[in-house]
Amino acid sequence: MRGHWAVVVATAAARRTLSDRAGLAVGTLFYLLVTGVISTVWRTAAGESDTGLVAGYSAAALGWYLAASEVTAVAINPRLIEAIGEDIAGGAVESEMLRPAPVVGVRLAAALGTALPRIACCAVGGSALALATAGSPPDAAGLALAAPALVLGVACNVATQHAAAAAAFWLRDAKSAWFLYQKFVFMLGGLLLPIEVLPGWLERVATLLPFAAMAYVPGRLASGHVEPGLLLVQVGWLAVMTALAALAFARGERRLQAVGA
Amino acid sequence: MTRASTARAVGATFRAAAAEAFANRASFWSQATIMILNDVAWVGFWVVFFHEVGSLRGWEADDVLLLFSVLTTAAGLVLGLLANARRIGALAGDGELDATLTLPVPPLAHLLARRVEPVHIGDTLFGIGLFALAGSPTPTRTAMFVLAAVAGAAVMVGFVVAIQSLAFFAGRNEGGDLGVHAVILLASYPAELFRGLPRAVLYSVVPAAFVSTVPATLVSDFDLTAAAGLLAAATLSVLTGWSVFTVGLRRYTSGAAWSRA
Repeated sequence: MRGHWAVVVATAAARRTLSDRAGLAVGTLFYLLVTGVISTVWRTAAGESDTGLVAGYSAAALGWYLAASEVTAVAINPRLIEAIGEDIAGGAVESEMLRPAPVVGVRLAAALGTALPRIACCAVGGSALALATAGSPPDAAGLALAAPALVLGVACNVATQHAAAAAAFWLRDAKSAWFLYQKFVFMLGGLLLPIEVLPGWLERVATLLPFAAMAYVPGRLASGHVEPGLLLVQVGWLAVMTALAALAFARGERRLQAVGA
Repeated sequence: MTRASTARAVGATFRAAAAEAFANRASFWSQATIMILNDVAWVGFWVVFFHEVGSLRGWEADDVLLLFSVLTTAAGLVLGLLANARRIGALAGDGELDATLTLPVPPLAHLLARRVEPVHIGDTLFGIGLFALAGSPTPTRTAMFVLAAVAGAAVMVGFVVAIQSLAFFAGRNEGGDLGVHAVILLASYPAELFRGLPRAVLYSVVPAAFVSTVPATLVSDFDLTAAAGLLAAATLSVLTGWSVFTVGLRRYTSGAAWSRA
């Protein structure tokens, strides 16, 4: 294998995404539609508020927040948990175990590689949309920090979905769990609303969970809050969730071998 | 076949589809429950939103919950009871309509009646429950709610069939899926939040306003002109869906796949 296997896998996946131009265009259009709608709602709310702010965010800040946070949701397959669960239950994972590389590592690299072109397209389209509807970014430094935060946020999301989907090794079914997982990202992850909007106790819960690292952090940075420490939070959660996914897959794979499937 | 015998045949097809969906009761109820939990999360979002912003362009929490009850009921009727509406594009693109075309019933009617999707039945159950809890039901309002939801469903099914039938012309289906997502997403918000061109789109190209905003407004404040407008939109949408499907079907090419659709 030429080059490190993770780079080879991610590059091949990224090329596959790039070759499907229609899929990439439709995905970007969908992102622009979702972002345009939800951004209109929040910017209208800020515009009608007496202070011009919602939970400390101005209309412009909310426009940029949502342009960034929504990228992390649209860039990956929302039903990834279900797909992984089907691969585990259907036996596809068993054939992947024959490769000279860890199953979960290859899958994480492929998912991230698939997402990278989508992140790039949505980020460019989202920036144009936010410029047109919300005005200039509140802070250029924050926007610059949001770029790596988008990739880290997607990586956290992919790793967490693998950790959750590994339950299929024992349950043989992860179907429909993605619906509930998605709602955690929506609400506690700050995808649809900055977590500062949540009631105090729920906001505290949200800061203790990995979901905020997925959508809230890129949004917070893009909305003009120059807080580089948030990137470290993402790196920490990425390490934890990757380790959890690796552990769960390792145990699950042993279980598959044990039953001789 | 006479109209009466056609109606009996399509009715029998629908009963068989419903029985098939309900055959595994545990699966049926678990899928429906997951969708109900999904919808509850959306209610949570709106409660948090209005707790933060108070009201938005005259819409308050109760109004949006009524809108959401109409939308989920209507969407459940279309995506749950007439589930093949959103699969027409895939079936046409993959050439899987052969079996349907051999039957002595109108192909579109048979297709729509052929599949019931349990997960979206959860939407309808949720919508009815939400109206009962938050819609201040009186006999008049309940009757209006039922009529409004059915009219909204008619608008939606016509649009979904039309947009999915574009696959007969384009060969690919990404645009059709985007259209389905778009009408649901846009119908999730009051049309009054938008201004100018986006608002005009909601009343024309993607008739999301007639799926939720107009029906919900009629339940809370009946207006004869608005009711006539909704009826006209429902009729036009259904006719458009039927026309695009019928014209598109002439371009259908078999994939030599004998499936049950």
